[in-house]
Amino acid sequence: MTSIKITGVEKRFGELLALSDINLAIEKGEFFTLLGPSGCGKTTLLRTIAGFYRQDKGDIWLGGELINDVPAYLRNTGMVFQNYAVFPHMTVYENVAYGLKVRKLPAQEIEKRVKGALRNVHLEGYEARTPDKLSGGQQQRVGLARAMAIEPRVLLFDEPLSNLDAKLRVEMRDEIRAVQKALGITAVYVTHDQEEALVISDRIAVVNFGKIQQVGPPWEIYKNPVNLFVATFVGKINALDVVLGEDLGSGLRRAQAGSLSFAVPSAGTEGCSDAVLAFRPEEVVETADAAGVNRLSGTLVSTAFLGTVVSMELELGGSTIVIERHRPKKGDIPATGNRVEFAVPPESCFIFDKRTGARLRAEEGR
Amino acid sequence: MNLRGKRADVWHLVTFIGFAIVIVFLIYPLFDVFQYSFKNKETGELSLANWKEFFGRAYYMRAFGHSMFIALATTFFSMVLGIPLAFFTTRYKIKGSNLLTTLSVLALLSPTFIGAYSWITMLGRNGFLRNLFSSIGITLPPIYGALGIILADSLQYYPFISLMLAGSLMTIDRSLEEASENLGARATKTFFSVTMPLVLPSLTGGALIVFMMSLSNFGTPMIIGGNYLVLPTLAYNMFTSEVGESPGMASTVSIILMLCAAVVIVLQTWASSRRKYASMLVNRPVVKKLKGAKAFLAHLVCYFIVGLSTLPLGVIVFYSFRNTSGPVFKPGFSLGSYRQIFFDVPKTVANSFIYSFVAVLLIALVGTLLGFVIARRRNLAVKLLDPLLMIPYIVPGTVLGIGFIVAFNRKPIFLTGTAIIMILTYFIRRLPYSVRSAASILKQIDPALEEAGINLGSPPGRTFRTVTLPLMQSGIISGAIMSWVTSMNELSASVLLYVGRTMTMPIKVYLSVADGYFGTASAMSTILLAVTGIAMFVVNKYFNRGSETFIAS
Repeated sequence: MTSIKITGVEKRFGELLALSDINLAIEKGEFFTLLGPSGCGKTTLLRTIAGFYRQDKGDIWLGGELINDVPAYLRNTGMVFQNYAVFPHMTVYENVAYGLKVRKLPAQEIEKRVKGALRNVHLEGYEARTPDKLSGGQQQRVGLARAMAIEPRVLLFDEPLSNLDAKLRVEMRDEIRAVQKALGITAVYVTHDQEEALVISDRIAVVNFGKIQQVGPPWEIYKNPVNLFVATFVGKINALDVVLGEDLGSGLRRAQAGSLSFAVPSAGTEGCSDAVLAFRPEEVVETADAAGVNRLSGTLVSTAFLGTVVSMELELGGSTIVIERHRPKKGDIPATGNRVEFAVPPESCFIFDKRTGARLRAEEGR
Repeated sequence: MNLRGKRADVWHLVTFIGFAIVIVFLIYPLFDVFQYSFKNKETGELSLANWKEFFGRAYYMRAFGHSMFIALATTFFSMVLGIPLAFFTTRYKIKGSNLLTTLSVLALLSPTFIGAYSWITMLGRNGFLRNLFSSIGITLPPIYGALGIILADSLQYYPFISLMLAGSLMTIDRSLEEASENLGARATKTFFSVTMPLVLPSLTGGALIVFMMSLSNFGTPMIIGGNYLVLPTLAYNMFTSEVGESPGMASTVSIILMLCAAVVIVLQTWASSRRKYASMLVNRPVVKKLKGAKAFLAHLVCYFIVGLSTLPLGVIVFYSFRNTSGPVFKPGFSLGSYRQIFFDVPKTVANSFIYSFVAVLLIALVGTLLGFVIARRRNLAVKLLDPLLMIPYIVPGTVLGIGFIVAFNRKPIFLTGTAIIMILTYFIRRLPYSVRSAASILKQIDPALEEAGINLGSPPGRTFRTVTLPLMQSGIISGAIMSWVTSMNELSASVLLYVGRTMTMPIKVYLSVADGYFGTASAMSTILLAVTGIAMFVVNKYFNRGSETFIAS
């Protein structure tokens, strides 16, 4: 069942086109993330759903109800704010009870729901505290409990973790996900942190320049990006300008990047010569494992040891390429200045049209 | 938050009321002043006669020159007093520096005419200090005239300089001065090339405020000026004198006064819009502990400056307890002067309290609502209203008083001689401060808090009441107390507007001084001082606001 339906939504701020032809259908109980760089329009879209902005064009349905003209305070969406927005003049209890009092619920019901919400976010016993006595993480828990207590039709998260330190961010992210799944409530989550988005989401919409670039589950977004922007924004990737050359047979085609020559999948690349070749650092293999194509060697410029992975920056043919080796053993990490050999499997290569940024691939590749 | 844009909500009504207030109580009376100045006295025809006369006759040009000279000299001496005080109290450990700040704020907020009057009792024709000096053979120059005005004004207004400068000296990041030293600059070089440029904007800001206050001050030159006329007293005389009363000329003088004030305000806006450096405090500057002679000297300078400015206040309080017989002081102490006030003119005391109280309720209510509109609802109408609301900043009390008399002494609005016109005067003169302060409090409240309220299902009106208003509360109350103090002490406009029934304490002080009844004047002034002191104490104690509140509001 669809929880939120958005069709043809457009929003302008003066000259700036903040949202352009947004179409989305978010399922009930789904954890849906809007991911993009700052200023891309993701927060505008969230605030339009909440009713803080009125779209210039298009429609928004919430649980089957057209809510274009419903004022923000009647939309019953629970929002969690980036800077917590916990009322500083109220206790934790009063904060969580605020929306329930507005709804004129009976006192016992309010108490029951506040208790329940605080239990969900592990803040039992903090009822009488005032926000200035709480850490950032605790304040954001109050914000979450407050939003959940009103039993909203949808939870809206506006970069709720960006003001927390790294360790707490990971902790809270898992908690948000757990609570959301336990309650089965639809969530729309805005973030610019691609790792956060990959971990927490059922589906992700990558947004840029006010447009939705790609919608799909995290795996699909990472492994099968539809354009160069999605490929470079989500995860690390090496991108080289190439000129596409002759057919090499077996569905492969030559791609020339300066002095470097690659064999890449030819499907979908017909009629295109200027392109971008991209592959992820972790996709490279040892030359011994390669089927004789795309074997390369470069000069090691620098290394970064990250525990499970060692990341190496290589210089070859005037380009810089980053590769990763997993579970490095002692002696796997050569000194800088040495030659490092590696191979890029053709099936790991993404080809994008240099002009449009669109991914070039076989029709059935979807 | 513009979802409800199409519907007329309560904020549209507030904007409308704002315009109504500005048009009826500012533009309408000021337009009358404008009209008067371009009218021929006899024929009522349009004429430039008043302006020709103003620029043609030495009598008027001299008053203009006097005003400029007084304002410049006051600014200069305020800096002479304020800069060392600010520097010493922020950079060196001065014992009792909190007390010094409190006393200088008290001097700043006390009614302007008290200082002038007190200096007369000390250095006037029969003043005790003058007599003391002449007994040892020193003849002091006469206090009436420019000297007295500059003395009283400088000792009242220097805290604008010292408080603003101290504020910015305290918020300079210590690392900046350390960086300069680390790069090889010695202490004096650091002071002139790093410290001074950083605090210069607040120094200019403070100086311009002093200039402005001194330029539009009416009470001091009226009491101590003698025949030395400045623009506000000139306008007052032209308007009220029974021989040769000339409202047209008074209006011309008023407009010239307003133009000067407008120039200063423009300069001040420009000065404060230049980059302010004090921000994210990482390292507060170090407060050095001085030793020996240096410590003694620093303390001496600070205590001398503040002591000198508090002296007039002390003298007044002292005299209020002296025995009197009519205008003559007699040996011994009594509460006679107070008794006299409460038996003879209880209505005057009551009037002051009642008018200020009613005015403050209006100021707080209207100021808060308009402040909200200006901070949170910036539509085209509000953008137009915002500068209009600031007009009272450049309208000296004397000018507003003249405008009110001419405008409200005829149909359709007939208000002269009523309590309402007194209350309205207080209200209009204070409104811009209240609006500004409410708007700046709101700018510190995260709009996300209001959005959170709305998101949780609370309509905008209820959100304002349950979220915004409680967060503004302490700021509104401390602002209201400051409004109350300034209203209690208002003289320059109300002295033109009062009738016997609507007499207030500052007016009574002024009249008593003029008639030589110094005992009554002292007792009345002491009451006003006590009110000012108590208000300051309350603001400090219960609202935890420092000296900056007193300058900002």
